[in-house]
Amino acid sequence: MPLHPISYLLPDDFDLQQLKSSFKESYGLREEVPSKVKLTYYDSFDWRVWNAGGELHEEQGTLNRLCWHSIKGRKEPISQTIDQSPGFAKDLPAGALADLLSSVLEMRVLQPKVHVIQQQQTLALLDSEEKTVVRVVLEQNSYASIDGKQSGPLEGRIVLKPLKGYQSDFEKIVAHLKAIKLRNCGQSLYQDALQGVGIKPGDYSSKLNYRLDPYASADSTARQIMLDLLNTLEANVAGTKADLDSEYLHDLRVATRRTRSAMSQIKGVFDPQQLEPFKRGFGWIGQVTGPTRDLDVYLLKYDQYRASLPEALQGDLDPFYDYLLNHQKTEQAKLVKKLNSPHFRKLIKTWRVWLEESKADQENTPNANKATAKLADKRISKLYARVLKDGLAIGPDSPAEMLHELRKDCKKLRYMMEFFQSLYPKPAIRELIKALKVILDNLGEFQDLEVQAHSLEDIGSEMLKEGAPASALMAMGVLVGRLFERQVTAREEFVNLFAAFSSEGNQKAFRKLFGGA
Amino acid sequence: MHILGVYNIKGGVGKTATAVNLAHLAATEGYRTLIWDLDPQAAATYYFRIKPKVKGGNKRLIKGKLDLDEVVKATDFENLDMLPADFSYRNMDLRLEEAKNPTKQLLKLLRPLSQAYDYVFLDCPPSISLVSENIFRAAEGLLLPLIPTTLSLRTYQQLLDFLEGHRITGLELMPFFSMVDRRKRMHLDVMKSLPDTHGELLKAQIPYASDVEKMGIHRMPVQAFAPKSVAASCYQALWLEMQRRLG
Repeated sequence: MPLHPISYLLPDDFDLQQLKSSFKESYGLREEVPSKVKLTYYDSFDWRVWNAGGELHEEQGTLNRLCWHSIKGRKEPISQTIDQSPGFAKDLPAGALADLLSSVLEMRVLQPKVHVIQQQQTLALLDSEEKTVVRVVLEQNSYASIDGKQSGPLEGRIVLKPLKGYQSDFEKIVAHLKAIKLRNCGQSLYQDALQGVGIKPGDYSSKLNYRLDPYASADSTARQIMLDLLNTLEANVAGTKADLDSEYLHDLRVATRRTRSAMSQIKGVFDPQQLEPFKRGFGWIGQVTGPTRDLDVYLLKYDQYRASLPEALQGDLDPFYDYLLNHQKTEQAKLVKKLNSPHFRKLIKTWRVWLEESKADQENTPNANKATAKLADKRISKLYARVLKDGLAIGPDSPAEMLHELRKDCKKLRYMMEFFQSLYPKPAIRELIKALKVILDNLGEFQDLEVQAHSLEDIGSEMLKEGAPASALMAMGVLVGRLFERQVTAREEFVNLFAAFSSEGNQKAFRKLFGGA
Repeated sequence: MHILGVYNIKGGVGKTATAVNLAHLAATEGYRTLIWDLDPQAAATYYFRIKPKVKGGNKRLIKGKLDLDEVVKATDFENLDMLPADFSYRNMDLRLEEAKNPTKQLLKLLRPLSQAYDYVFLDCPPSISLVSENIFRAAEGLLLPLIPTTLSLRTYQQLLDFLEGHRITGLELMPFFSMVDRRKRMHLDVMKSLPDTHGELLKAQIPYASDVEKMGIHRMPVQAFAPKSVAASCYQALWLEMQRRLG
């Protein structure tokens, strides 16, 4: 098992001389030249490294090195020299770290979270050959925010660093420090530094995780949900505008969709007249963010598209990639204008003001003062009944339209279940959301493949106008064929998947949780 | 991971000093580096103040009962680890012969370390044997210190013949002059004539210098105790040229 450094808090009454003389009984001592190192810690906007139980920092020196430490599980650190600041995992030099980060980050970009300036004074403990066997490092660290506006000292530390192959010496020193009652640091240097700049790791997640009060009025609960969605939307505006990675826009759009769903599905709570301009406004956000997202999706899928072609044709697809890249830039620029427009800013501002004015007592609607749990039961059981009815009506020859409609209802149902999940027993509702997700994935695949295939055809004719070579269009033709083939498979799978979803057991489970006939 | 052998059929040509100093330079630049002392004389191990002992010796190592990772020792230098020598290495040939694929055992042992290190330097024992053949098959390149004498050149030719005879190709050969004494007529003559026939010869040269000999007193790489010495700058030049050659 690999040994790991252990950090202790530097006590206020720390006496270096005393510590040194206590080592001298068994070891020679050498003081190394004090050093100063700058570390920059990285993670994605949504804390994927942190959530995967890791810490990632760049150490600047003659060579810059990116280093991953596992906090969960005691694995050895993994590091890699880099010649530019880290961004996407795919741009890192090939190796174990790039592989690990690819699976952790996927499409997300790394961003600096906090700097740590480490001042170290190292004591080397030597054996009879004057070989170092353990290092004791006194650290005076400080933190600095990425914008440089905040900085300050961190608590001093004594870090015991093992040397490979000298385990027993390390264990001896660990026992010694325990005997003189040094206290272990409760958290890592990274956590200390984040605390310094006031950042809470995991402070952003696109996942819905509300703790709702079942007896609260439906009005206040709906506002709580929508306010949270608005926070998510706003949190993603800057990253979307800067186009740091494609996920900001995606999360912004999901928050928009969820908001629209909440507006229409949490029925009878708000005055429809007051809600109307916001419904239109959020519809508009969905619309203007669409083109960029579509191109982002094609770019994300490009490698997969390319690999689905016979090898001889793969290179022919490259003009398609250039097209996507160019047009993504154009659409992105248009999108930025929209997000900077007074219309967008006013919409967001008035929406927040409207949500924050709680006025359930004055609300002249049938459900505003109903208990949240009651309304949730009613809405979910109603939506479920509709999904069940419409889904079971679909046979092998039903038109695609019916599946598209079903998908919309399934989405509404899913959002409602997710909004209100804290009101229900966790394992039970999770299980049902999971079952619903299987159907949604199938319906999504069925519809998305068709949409993709058709818009690839449109893109093809535009590329022709822009003078793309015939070979590119032919490769795209093959690709379109592949997409339609996969669509047929998805259609064939639907009936069986829906049969499983609508099984007696699931129906019972739905009824048990949400009531209804 | 770059695996490099430091090798010559002849002993006493500056192999260990080369392996130790290059490994140290690689580590100083931040590359995670391993030096494996394969010579039972354990000179490299001595330079790093490590005890020349591998638990179970080469018997356990080659039988696959021991992970290399278990016997690695950290040196006093950051990023630089060592696989110490063991006296049992003198019998390594015999052990290799008993193994299944006797010429590829070292490669097999080193492979699992590829994620952990950027550079591995093998300090090879002199002579030509099954151990050397293993090194040739594991390494990407060979650093070959040559003393500029006719005898030394003869051994270099012997090596070339051996490689050709055993169909070992794709090995980057990097001979360079070592222990150069510019006061010696023969050294100057050999150094003048060899480049014409051997384009692979590196331009960097290591002089016969007392600082290199003092490594044994300080028990550390030249760069660590005499960073401004001529010897240190010569090893630095060798390191740079080697990196360029490997591309």
